Amino acid sequence: MALLEIDDIHVFYDKIEALKGVSMSVEEGRIVTLVGGNGAGKSTTLRAVSGLLHPRQGAIRYAGETLGQYGAHEIAAMGLVQVPEGRRIFGRLTVNENLEMGAFTQKNRQQIAEDRERMLTLFPRLRERLRQVAGTLSGGEQQMVATARAMMARPRALLMDEPSMGLSPMMVEQVFETIRTINAQGVTVLLVEQNALLALSIADTGYVMESGRIVLSGSGPELLDDERVRRAYLG
Amino acid sequence: MPTSLAILPRRRQPATPLQRTLGVGLVFGVIGVYLAAVGLLPMLNKRSVIVDTIGLGDATMIAIGLGAGAMAARHAHTRGGATLHGLLAGAVAGAMAAALAVVMQLVSLQSIFIQLSPALFTMLTLGLGLAGGAAVLIGGGAAAGLAGALLRDSPPGGRRIVLAGLGTVVVAGVFQELIQLVLQNAGALTTSASEFFYTWEGLSQQGAAAIFVIAAIIAGLNAMVQRRAAGRVAASERRVRLRRLLRAGILLLLLVCFPLLAGSYIGQVLMLVGLYILMGMGLNLEVGLAGLLDLGFVAFFAVGAYTTALLTADSAHALAALSYWEAMPIAVLLSICVGVIFGIPVLGVRGDYLAVATMGLGEIVRVIVTSDFAAPLLGGAQGVLQIPKPRIGATVLATPVALFYLTLAASAVAAYVAWRLENSRLGRAWMALRDDEDVAQALGVNLIRSKLLAYGLGAAFAGLGGSIFAVMLSSVYPSSFQLLISINVLALIIVGGMGSLPGVVVGSLALIGLPELLREFGEYRYLFYGAVLVIMMRLKPEGLWPSEVRRRELHAGDEAEALDAGADLLPAGQHASSAAE
Ligand SMILES: Nc1ncnc2c1ncn2[C@@H]1O[C@H](COP(=O)(O)OP(=O)(O)O)[C@@H](O)[C@H]1O
Ligand SMILES: [Mg+2]
Repeated sequence: MALLEIDDIHVFYDKIEALKGVSMSVEEGRIVTLVGGNGAGKSTTLRAVSGLLHPRQGAIRYAGETLGQYGAHEIAAMGLVQVPEGRRIFGRLTVNENLEMGAFTQKNRQQIAEDRERMLTLFPRLRERLRQVAGTLSGGEQQMVATARAMMARPRALLMDEPSMGLSPMMVEQVFETIRTINAQGVTVLLVEQNALLALSIADTGYVMESGRIVLSGSGPELLDDERVRRAYLG
Repeated sequence: MPTSLAILPRRRQPATPLQRTLGVGLVFGVIGVYLAAVGLLPMLNKRSVIVDTIGLGDATMIAIGLGAGAMAARHAHTRGGATLHGLLAGAVAGAMAAALAVVMQLVSLQSIFIQLSPALFTMLTLGLGLAGGAAVLIGGGAAAGLAGALLRDSPPGGRRIVLAGLGTVVVAGVFQELIQLVLQNAGALTTSASEFFYTWEGLSQQGAAAIFVIAAIIAGLNAMVQRRAAGRVAASERRVRLRRLLRAGILLLLLVCFPLLAGSYIGQVLMLVGLYILMGMGLNLEVGLAGLLDLGFVAFFAVGAYTTALLTADSAHALAALSYWEAMPIAVLLSICVGVIFGIPVLGVRGDYLAVATMGLGEIVRVIVTSDFAAPLLGGAQGVLQIPKPRIGATVLATPVALFYLTLAASAVAAYVAWRLENSRLGRAWMALRDDEDVAQALGVNLIRSKLLAYGLGAAFAGLGGSIFAVMLSSVYPSSFQLLISINVLALIIVGGMGSLPGVVVGSLALIGLPELLREFGEYRYLFYGAVLVIMMRLKPEGLWPSEVRRRELHAGDEAEALDAGADLLPAGQHASSAAE
């Protein structure tokens, strides 16, 4: 069975139905991507998985458990950790303090120190900026902080919401490289992107979403070749 | 105003330096005339800075002249220009005051502005008659303006020395009663010092001169030491922390010894300050750390006071006859419970709405206490009387000074708890919630538990304060627990520095202690209070003693600019957009 199963969920913002029956499956150890235009419902899907929103109908199962009964903080403690859209780092805390915040669910000081070291190896740029206030970093560096912060929680699955948003092409490449590295270390990745070309090219499986519904799914290469995907997203 | 500019077809010509200077003079003149017309100047003059020489009102007028000069000098480019502009602005401000005197001479306005009294006229004209007085006002204004401009242009070291001297003289003069009292109680040596500086009525001329010189020398030495330190390596983090600790220690020591010397009135004032410190530390957990804007905070104070009253009072309403030491923990525990219950209905409310919602909850508590429904239990508007003073063994803590030490001990314990909380896991959870609720939760912070704990623990501090408040007054009335208390507590933590423990102490001293010492100015105190709040928020929005994080936040702009200047991976266009996120 897949690590994460989303089964026909319907999510509402008051009366507006943002997700109209979404089903997805994320196998352990893979990179799965969810692509789609602005307002399709990608972030809503991630927020539902994180427990920040609750589906009115349908179920989300993770590692054999139904998530409906858990609060967002419990889901995080279970290893499903989100890197939110727009990074949302703690802007007035230092980089180091941001990382410590990420380790909130962890109790072992020694292990936290090791994790931090691993993150600084993954993002050498952050090492020079450990004592700097995170709000003063560039967009690309802030994305590094947001990713490293999430990784400090020792996720089993990382939920990334548009990590490439607003970054320069060079930075974007670096972000995708990082995603691959993280995945290679054994972390399952659910990647939400508007940049379908790049996302599908690193993903094992892809889902295409339009107005709250999954309209297409398949392996990454399959979707990249699909005429409809090309027309809609790859221009 | 961008909107009006958008409507106007063309931008107005920028003002010439001369126009600006005249404008500055007029504005400062209007301030002076206003202060005179509302009666503040003659009122201030009741307190002298230097006996038979300068009153506080006169000092204020001089300060207005100095301010006008300093402000006008800002626009000038050359040294000579600056002095000239300062002179002019001061003269204009003085002329406005002279004009007021002329108008008062010509028409009697006292039926409309009751404060435009003959006494004010005499004060403005220094008793020299209209012509002489007007000349002195304009001349004096010009001189003050010139001095202000020169001060502004002088090197910072020199400026600091002069300002320190002047400031110390003003403080020594205005608070002469208190200072004399302390000096005379402290010992033979200080008594003779007091006799040197002060006459029976206040600061003497020789005393003022001596104090000016001493303060200036100290400021000069201090500046020298600092410059030398800066010349070496930048002070290490440990040094900075040590210095801060030292400052806090000195402040604390003063606070501890002071009431013993200053007597029971000061004891009472400081005790009030202590109560506000307790409440401030509590609200600081809620607002400063957890970001929960709470205007119903007084409710917890009331719970602590009423619980103590009902458990210890010798009255018909009493539920038990416990000793104070038994009642106080119960009062604190009950406050925690009420805090948690209070938090439940507003859990999902954020930001501004939270302020209004909590204000409503606070009012509900007050209304319940006053209601007929609860009157049999809580005593209604008559309150609960005859609360015994706490005793330790055979000693009764009856005097204000003794109760101050009780407050101090409670504050010390509370400060320790607050400090530990700040650096705990819970403290980090609060900070994360304050900055971003969603992200905090997504990182594993339990929103409901953390928020309710913030309300509960914040309430504990207020409950402890309320408990002491009850024994201080020996009675509790519902009318004591007004919304104004919540607002005062909020104001003091903002002025002190949001999220900063020493800030709470400084804020309480400034906003609660100082106005008490200015009691004779009656309602004008609140004019002062309001003006201080506005000026503070303009000049030092991070507070008098800000926390590290807060300081960073308000000065993050400067650092960001410095960084932007450096190389970055982003192309220029995209950089701006990502910074705006
Ligand atoms: N907080 C909200 N309140 C109401 N509607 C929302 C809210 N957030 C998103 N929506 C709506 O839900 C739909 C899906 O949004 P979202 O999941 O953010 O899309 P995406 O991430 O794919 O751009 C959009 O129509 C959006 O307008
Ligand atoms: Mg989105």
